Amino acid sequence: MSAMPIAIDLDDVHLRFRVRSATRVSLKEYLVRGLFRSASNPPVDVHALRGVSLHVDEGERLGIIGHNGAGKSTLLKVIAGVYPPTAGMCTINGRICSLFDLMVGFEMEASGWDNIRFRSYLQGETPRTIRGKVNGIAEFSELGRFLDVPLKYYSAGMLVRLAFSIASAADPEILLIDEALAAGDASFRAKARERITELKQAARLMVLVSHDLNALPDLCTAVAWMERGQVKMLGPCDEIIPAYRSSMARAAPVGAAA
Amino acid sequence: MPGRIATVWRFRHFWLSLAGMDLRVRYRRSVLGIGWSLLNPIVMTVVFCVGFSTWTGNGDWRTAASFYLTGLAVWDFIKHSAVQGSLTFPRNEPYIRQSPIPLAVYTLRTSLGTAVHFGIALVVAVVAIGVLHPTDHFTSLYALWAVVPAACLLLLFCWAVSTLCAVANVYFHDTQHLAEVGLNIGFFLTPIIYAKERLVERGLGFVADVNPVVAFLDIIRDPLLTGAPSTTAAFVQAAGLTFVAVVAAVAVLARFERRLVFHL
Repeated sequence: MSAMPIAIDLDDVHLRFRVRSATRVSLKEYLVRGLFRSASNPPVDVHALRGVSLHVDEGERLGIIGHNGAGKSTLLKVIAGVYPPTAGMCTINGRICSLFDLMVGFEMEASGWDNIRFRSYLQGETPRTIRGKVNGIAEFSELGRFLDVPLKYYSAGMLVRLAFSIASAADPEILLIDEALAAGDASFRAKARERITELKQAARLMVLVSHDLNALPDLCTAVAWMERGQVKMLGPCDEIIPAYRSSMARAAPVGAAA
Repeated sequence: MPGRIATVWRFRHFWLSLAGMDLRVRYRRSVLGIGWSLLNPIVMTVVFCVGFSTWTGNGDWRTAASFYLTGLAVWDFIKHSAVQGSLTFPRNEPYIRQSPIPLAVYTLRTSLGTAVHFGIALVVAVVAIGVLHPTDHFTSLYALWAVVPAACLLLLFCWAVSTLCAVANVYFHDTQHLAEVGLNIGFFLTPIIYAKERLVERGLGFVADVNPVVAFLDIIRDPLLTGAPSTTAAFVQAAGLTFVAVVAAVAVLARFERRLVFHL
């Protein structure tokens, strides 16, 4: 348990980076760039977050809404410490559990048991602390003997089951959830929803990225509406969600509802 | 800095288990398994003995075989650290995008894998020297104590090389290919299959003087072949090179670590 109160504090956070349309930069690009002709694969400046300021205290549940590309997932990754802010301050006090990008980071040649260990170690567990959790994770995943098999033989649904079971076994102080979690078949989805509800109750602070505007008032104490990398509005659910809905209705093209 | 080292240590179970898995996966479906790591230096040594021992002036094939085995062990360690090190960050990209742990964790994963193969090659060399020199089975064992610090220096040097190549490859994607080509040329410019004196005789002594690999060849090869530790000067040179390489690797990580995720 942390000595200081659990909190997230973002002060005028900017995130700027450069990407190229082609991931690889050719030798020709290096040699002739700026000499004879303009680059065919020039870097594009992306200003993903623009002056985001947020303060979330212990006990609060913050929902983040906004269109695709508004910067919601990027904001979550800044809070998780994966992306360093280019400017501004990001202060996090508390042990973070991230439930996003569940499907990435598996070792496909290794067995389910091995992957449970790798993922748990990445979440900061030790052989001693995971000893009591491994069986619980295996049981929750319902994968049985398939845990002895390399992951390359798993179906997509089995992978999701395993990924969710490992990620949700953590004991978080700060819980970050990207709602794009589609956990397996119908029966497992119900179980996953139940587990998420337990996690939300157990976590002392939660930030949830979601498109489910109907569910947010039950889950969150406040909502931040992101647009083009900025927090457009921040406040209670009953104030922000209607404003966002009417903005979406205005933005919808004529006949879109048909 | 001490904080980063503490974090790397805290996640030791993560990189140790991944390095262990890399080794298991590498040989899972092969008939010989890890035997390939034993066989590889032996086969190369046989080829060099048959094809080059007279030409390179190494004389007796038994002496030449011991010479080749020790040289190949050191060279392969450095070569694989550079080539496999270049691929470290693309290979671990999913983890890097999920968790903000120090990037040194991933270069340690690569270095440990290559270090295990170096250890195997070294054991093959020690056993071979014992078998090939029936009058003095234990020559290499007399000064084995001197090989331990030498191998530790080499391990640190290779981790630094691996880290530098890994960062370079993120910004310049041809690093791996350049390293492969450069090291293939370097193999013939380094006294691995011929004695350092051959270069001096041909007026190319400076090639050995500027080649950082030579210091590591000396401090590992000398005790195994002669039963006496290498010169203090060779140790000082190897320690100096290791220090410079490690400082460069730490500085490069400190400079690029936080922004590297955007270039993957």
